[in-house]
Amino acid sequence: MREKTFLESFSRHRLGVIGCVGVALILLAGVVGPFFVPFQKGYGEAMPLAGPSAENFLGTDALGLDLFSEIIWGARTSILISASAVLVAMFIGIPLGLVSGYSRGKIGALIDSAIEITMTIPTLPLMILISALVGPSVRTVAVVIGVFAWPTLARIVRNSTLKVSQMQYIEAAKVLGISKGSIMFKHILLNIAGPVLVDITLIMATAVLTESSLSYLGLGDPNVWSWGGILQTAFKAGHHFRAWWLVIFPAASIMLYVIFFNLLGIGINETLNPKSRK
Amino acid sequence: MSRYITLRLAKGILTFFIAVTITFLIVRLMPGDPTTALISDSLSPEDALVLKESFGLDKPLYQQYFLFIRNLLKGDLGYSFFYKDSVASIIGNKLWWTLLLMGSSLFVTLLIGIPLGVISAKHQGKLLDQAINVAVVIGVSIFVPLLAFLLLYSFSFRLMWTPIGGAYSPGIDSSQMFGSVVSHMILPCATLVITYLASTVLYMRNSMLDVLKEDYVRTAKAKGVNDRKVTWSHALRNALIPTVTVTGLMIGKMVAGAVLTETVFSWPGVGTMIYDAVQKQDFPLLQGAFLVLAASVVVMTLITDLVVAWLDPRIKL
Repeated sequence: MREKTFLESFSRHRLGVIGCVGVALILLAGVVGPFFVPFQKGYGEAMPLAGPSAENFLGTDALGLDLFSEIIWGARTSILISASAVLVAMFIGIPLGLVSGYSRGKIGALIDSAIEITMTIPTLPLMILISALVGPSVRTVAVVIGVFAWPTLARIVRNSTLKVSQMQYIEAAKVLGISKGSIMFKHILLNIAGPVLVDITLIMATAVLTESSLSYLGLGDPNVWSWGGILQTAFKAGHHFRAWWLVIFPAASIMLYVIFFNLLGIGINETLNPKSRK
Repeated sequence: MSRYITLRLAKGILTFFIAVTITFLIVRLMPGDPTTALISDSLSPEDALVLKESFGLDKPLYQQYFLFIRNLLKGDLGYSFFYKDSVASIIGNKLWWTLLLMGSSLFVTLLIGIPLGVISAKHQGKLLDQAINVAVVIGVSIFVPLLAFLLLYSFSFRLMWTPIGGAYSPGIDSSQMFGSVVSHMILPCATLVITYLASTVLYMRNSMLDVLKEDYVRTAKAKGVNDRKVTWSHALRNALIPTVTVTGLMIGKMVAGAVLTETVFSWPGVGTMIYDAVQKQDFPLLQGAFLVLAASVVVMTLITDLVVAWLDPRIKL
């Protein structure tokens, strides 16, 4: 019997498909949406703090601006920041994980300790300190999140590398005299792409939680709309008890983003390793 | 001291040392003048000069580093712009509230999570498994300020069962203090428990399932020890080892949850202080908060290591 392709198996994973569709919708909203929705500045013409209505169907904020377009632009910010954070995390985590898993020995032990120590340090207060010092901007937040998101990725790359590097084809590559770098970054990396992809989707999810937390604390870029920033404004002005829409819609956007990316990650993971599905 | 404790202690000290070094480097290697970050514009030029000298900002970097560490060892964390007081004494008053909140939440999470994990391991079934998995996905996806707000809105604002914020009612005497703190802590504590419970149940369940497959469990059953005793005394102790280890790793993340929770409930701990310090751009206070929280996490991780050692007969204390 023909073996099922990845897509065929994935399409049977109900939660994974829900996640995939959700992620696609969020990407659509954040990447394409802003071309159709105006970027708002200053004061709006609508009635301030008005609940959902026909014109502003998610309501308006304290400045009379339309919440729906703020949320669409917030999606763009979240995607931009989490994707950049993932790139930063990959840039640090993948080489460190590969080297740690492939060379083992002293360098491996050193990288392992670095992973463990970075995971122990309470990173949110540190990210708060850095963002406050550098001054909040999309770039700062993305880099800061990525710089502290690498340990989980490095650990997964390391563990997968440990497994793969005992395979015969790696032995064969060594015998053939292929360079260490080429074995690690070509032969091993391609074979651990699955777990790396899973962790990337999970980092996308946690990055948005962190980004929202930072902007909720008042460390978001003041020049862009962000879901956490909308919450920050509402809480700071004390509107959160009167205007529920200013809390529920941005917070729901954050949680849907996180849940969809997590489900996508779980779907990919369980399709790749059917055994982990217990 | 045994090798295990020495190693763990060394790792803890190293972790804190690295946190200190990162902090030192960030503040000084930032683009621009470090004095603007450490010394407020609102200070008089004379005071600014005194502070500048106390930080050693006119000396080379390595001397500043030694000075920084010496000050830390003396318990000197700098001077807050906004409160016009030493950072150490401000945080000293707030830290206990944060530790109280985190400690109680951790305790309640384990108190509920461990038995739930054991029970769910004993009653395996598709529906239960799915329920746990869904709960875990929701748990890791929770945006803490939202959960905190929903609890506050429903129980304090609408139902008026619990106080609206703070840690105790003003103007009460010491005999009513305990009850007042407990009633104020219910919702912040519930926020953290809900966030971390599902993961604890999952870890406990998985490690219990592993342990129940072990030979000694079968031996005990074969000897005629009743099932309940095998589960709750023989297997539980061994299944706790990985759970406690993972809990130790969770503490660093829990700090983030506590910081966010505190801000919603105006809990008078380090988290609310961080929020205010961000609004006031009080960098020395933010730096002190990170260092103190890092030290607390290191100490709490050490405690979980000791618990692991106590549970695991293979580790000699």
